[in-house]
Amino acid sequence: MKQNKHISGKLHLTGRSHFIADEAPINGMLHAKFLFSPVAHARITKLDFSKAEAYPGVHRILSAKDIPAANMIGHVIKDEPLFPTEIIMYAWQPLAMVLAEDEAVAEEAAKLIQLSYEELPLLLEAEDADAAGEWYVPERKIECGNVDAVFASAVHIMEGKTHNSGQEHFYMEGQRCRAIPFEDSRLLLQCATQSTMEVQEVVSHLLGIPAHDIVVEVPRLGGAFGGKERAATIWASMAALAAFVCRKPVQVKLTRDEDMRATGKRHPFTSLWKVAYDDKGKILAYDLQLLANGGAYADLSVAILERAMFHAENAYHIPNARIRGRACRTNLPPNTAFRGFGAPQGIFVIESIMQQIANKLGLNPLAIRRINAYQNGDITPYNQEIKECNIEAIYNKLSDNSFYQSLVEEVKAFNSANPHRKRGLGIVPVKFGISFTTALLNQGSALIWIYIDGSVSVSTGGVEMGQELSTKVAIVVSRVLGISVDDIRVESSNTQRVGNASPTAASTGSDINGNAARIAAEKLREQLREPAAKLLEKNFGFSFNPQDILFSEQRIYVHDKPEASISFKELVSFAYVERIPLGAYGYYRTPDLWFDREVGKGHPFHYYVYGAALAEVELDCRMGEHDLKKLYIVHENGQSLQERIDLGQIAGAAVQGYGWCTMEDLKWDEKGRYISANPSTYKIPGIRDIPESFHIEIMPSLSKEASVFGSKATGEPPLIYGLAVFFALQDAVQAVKPEAQLSFPATPEAILKAIY
Amino acid sequence: MIETQRESANRITFYLNGKLTIETIPAGLSTLDWLTQTKQMHGTKCSCNEGDCGACTVVIAYPKEGNIVYEAITSCLYPAAKLHGRHLITVEGMGEPERLHIIQQALLEHHGTQCGYCTPGFVMSMFALFATHKHPDKETIFSALEGNLCRCTGYQSILDAAEEIAANYAPADIVPDWCRAVEQELFSFNQAATMILEASGSPRLVQRYMVPEDFKSLFDIHAVEPDSRFIAGGTDLMVQMNISRKSFPILIDLTRIPQLQRIYLQQDGLHIGSAVTYSQLLDSWIVKHDYPALHKLISQIASQQIRNFGTLGGNIANASPIGDSLPMLLALDAILILQSELEVRNVPIREFFVSYRQTALKKGEIIREIILPPQPRGCFIRSHKSAKRKSVDISAVVSVIRVEMDGSHIGNAVLALGGVAATPMLSAVFGTMLNGKAINELIADDIAEAVKAEFEPLSDVRGSAEYRSRLIYTHILAYLDELKEVLS
Repeated sequence: MKQNKHISGKLHLTGRSHFIADEAPINGMLHAKFLFSPVAHARITKLDFSKAEAYPGVHRILSAKDIPAANMIGHVIKDEPLFPTEIIMYAWQPLAMVLAEDEAVAEEAAKLIQLSYEELPLLLEAEDADAAGEWYVPERKIECGNVDAVFASAVHIMEGKTHNSGQEHFYMEGQRCRAIPFEDSRLLLQCATQSTMEVQEVVSHLLGIPAHDIVVEVPRLGGAFGGKERAATIWASMAALAAFVCRKPVQVKLTRDEDMRATGKRHPFTSLWKVAYDDKGKILAYDLQLLANGGAYADLSVAILERAMFHAENAYHIPNARIRGRACRTNLPPNTAFRGFGAPQGIFVIESIMQQIANKLGLNPLAIRRINAYQNGDITPYNQEIKECNIEAIYNKLSDNSFYQSLVEEVKAFNSANPHRKRGLGIVPVKFGISFTTALLNQGSALIWIYIDGSVSVSTGGVEMGQELSTKVAIVVSRVLGISVDDIRVESSNTQRVGNASPTAASTGSDINGNAARIAAEKLREQLREPAAKLLEKNFGFSFNPQDILFSEQRIYVHDKPEASISFKELVSFAYVERIPLGAYGYYRTPDLWFDREVGKGHPFHYYVYGAALAEVELDCRMGEHDLKKLYIVHENGQSLQERIDLGQIAGAAVQGYGWCTMEDLKWDEKGRYISANPSTYKIPGIRDIPESFHIEIMPSLSKEASVFGSKATGEPPLIYGLAVFFALQDAVQAVKPEAQLSFPATPEAILKAIY
Repeated sequence: MIETQRESANRITFYLNGKLTIETIPAGLSTLDWLTQTKQMHGTKCSCNEGDCGACTVVIAYPKEGNIVYEAITSCLYPAAKLHGRHLITVEGMGEPERLHIIQQALLEHHGTQCGYCTPGFVMSMFALFATHKHPDKETIFSALEGNLCRCTGYQSILDAAEEIAANYAPADIVPDWCRAVEQELFSFNQAATMILEASGSPRLVQRYMVPEDFKSLFDIHAVEPDSRFIAGGTDLMVQMNISRKSFPILIDLTRIPQLQRIYLQQDGLHIGSAVTYSQLLDSWIVKHDYPALHKLISQIASQQIRNFGTLGGNIANASPIGDSLPMLLALDAILILQSELEVRNVPIREFFVSYRQTALKKGEIIREIILPPQPRGCFIRSHKSAKRKSVDISAVVSVIRVEMDGSHIGNAVLALGGVAATPMLSAVFGTMLNGKAINELIADDIAEAVKAEFEPLSDVRGSAEYRSRLIYTHILAYLDELKEVLS
């Protein structure tokens, strides 16, 4: 099969692709700049705009009192104001917005706003907030088997606490929105969001206008990774409010440093655990408490916590498990979705435990993972049956590809020959549940037009952000209609064309939108059968059964008479004359999803994606620096729609995960202000950081559970492969000092601290 | 507070994607802002505005030592006034969607673009690389691309594309005809830049950006405007403007003065003009051959896009305690030639750093040259930079050791450190503990402990005090191990 290129590739490469707000200003457009809070928790005693308003060129200054309807941008849990009226909840929370035609004027004037406040006590760590009972919702629990009974009689019990730090999204394109008022009270929001529906809904409530007065348009995003799922809403709301109040176009565009300081990140988790296991290393019972540091407002924290709980056992069958989770309110910017959405945090805990048990029992990292692996027919702690688990085959492949047995020997030999350099191996499997765990989000729509020249326009609710959703949607439509991808344009995501769109998130983008597009395209194909038979008969003089007609490679024909064919274009113009509809709407909902939160049981996932990674590092034990020598990945993903796209997703996610657990060091000071909030102090991987040998194998499978054309999701699961490097480093550190425990992230500083 | 009066602009002549252009540049405006805000050319992307991400990379071509060089720069930190007489090449000048450049085609084939925001920057970095290098090796590719961040691809696809181009194409295939056509004009370029008065409606951080071409006019300007600041590459001053919004009412650019651009060998050592860029040093055969440790350390400073206009002189004058090149200059016992209107004086660099970001420079004085004394054969010089990321990172600790043997004994040993005190420092105890000793008399642990005890580093975002102390210790152990090995 021909491998299609990135549908926007040529535009990206020539700098011609359109990104929001990277374009000429609209005449009369106002630029917004903000007064950001200098403190993380305080009571506002004075907010005086008089000096700022007097600054020449200032158009207007807006704050909470200017909001026409409800000062509320919280979505599922309604706890987040657009501007705080009394209590500042996090450092860099926007307190007021200055509007001026000149950006520099707005910036200067914002400095003249006078703010007084009384500081309030801070909560910054999840454990402190937990102790104070600061939860958005009561504790969540998933339980199976009889945990207490097993602990009462277990031979081996281990207890511990693990911690992972947050992660800055570092999408290359920052948060931004352009709001353009038109006709009466209507607004066009060109907005860098993953969630057109949420922006529309929140802005509608904020301004007190109906949703149909708000058009949200997203051409594409310059990266998002979850950071524009919920976190984009506040900036869209700012632009919308200003444009609505001022009746002028308004641009909100954060600088990199503003973006890094003011927006939420991946959740740091602190996890308290206890585990019982037998002599062979089989885990018998697991008692886990996950504490998510959610930041100042609920945002998506509860759903993220839930996904962490759903992934707490990762690829292992643990018959007795009690998984409790509490999402804690702290005074950090509201933490939010980030690729993996809690799953990496939950998986990190069980993988740490596996490693510790293996060390105790002298098992190698692969052996202990095989002993505990899920088998078909096993039941997860939340009662979903495992049906298509192929982790055993994945381990075999990983072991073969990496020559695992000899690698283990090589590492041993190297380590005994080198006092100051140590190698280490780390293995991490992944079982990742696909579907939004909030079942209602698992629906989507598509709208397709075939124009009379035969060119095709496809709209879905999905947002293109580099994951090449648009290429995949085009591939799906091209397969159904038998036309070339080059004849298909995948449009921006726009609420006028596709309303009520779920966020493009949870790795479901191509499943939901691809299926909706497939359904719309199938409708069109069915509608075209009658005119096709008619035209074929007209051209070739014998009759055709409409149901036998094939649509393939731009031609329309029946199987046994391929020479008697018409082109897709001919068919389309004929169908138009025949007054056959050339547009169709497709709707898809993922079947069989439910989950009962009260009892912690259900069927939250449509299917699982499986895979495993092996990393080899070489550590300079004196400097704490390492080289990532190898990263082997085996990833199962059904029947890939386009393998190169999936390979790109896997490589990108793995490197992102590697960055998270090694060099991305998110720090805040005692006042709750991010201090590594710029690219000179917060380091994401660069080109020199990629594995010296990077081997990714996609393992096709004939999954019955898989989604559109047998394909599976790829966006999030591979992020977890990066964690293999953490465990490889842990292994290398323990080659120096067997009892050493490496803290997260494994920076050179953390490594030296663990060793010395 | 930003001033709004006495503004002027630079009227400059240059080439933009092959076309001769005469433009009025508001004082201090960056090339990126000029492209996106004045010209509404939005192919070049702004992602960080502080030189750390490479999304805004463009290429400049200009004559250097008889050749036309093509150099990638971060346009966010490059004052547009510096473009005078040069050829600015942006992504808009490269291929078109249906007529892609070789580089773009390779990136397309290898899926080297996902969200697309970093892509124009990568295209331009690769253009500079392949316009200059025939069949570059992996290390050269890494050097050229280490300053471009991508959050989507994990780089493997980009590297694959680069390696394919490296294998199959030469500069002759890469540099388009319209670039070649401008090259002759760049050699013969002799138009003057002028200053014109222009009131802008917008508050500006810089009122005047002066570009003197000789010492006389340089010091004349300074005499009239004693509060003016000197700017060389500008890779730090521009960050202060872009990010901290710091105002520099009058800037005097040093990079057009011919005396400051030379590298030449004298009896007292290698003379390096203060406006010589890091890239020029890396290209210098003398540096490569006679000062390999300096060469290595400079290759680890910042990114290609910054090294192409960042200067050694700027690094010294900036006097940051974590300026990467400074410990090396301390260890080599470099001499600085300082020049003011009335005086030229030599100051050893070991006396130059007075206190935190304070130097021996007097008002109106510039660094004219840096003299690197000749290093005796067999002199052991090593450096190590400790940072979170392999490249384009500021160090937590950077150190340099220099040991000169005197027969079988150590004649002179120095250890210089950055990141452990308010200024780059020489260890006082290191020399005393080593000098006069035979190698086998050295007790590495004791030496490392003693030097560690000498410094009380601070904790900051790049590392805790304990970590920095630990690094002092381990750097020394590693050096002494290697020293023993080399000598035995």
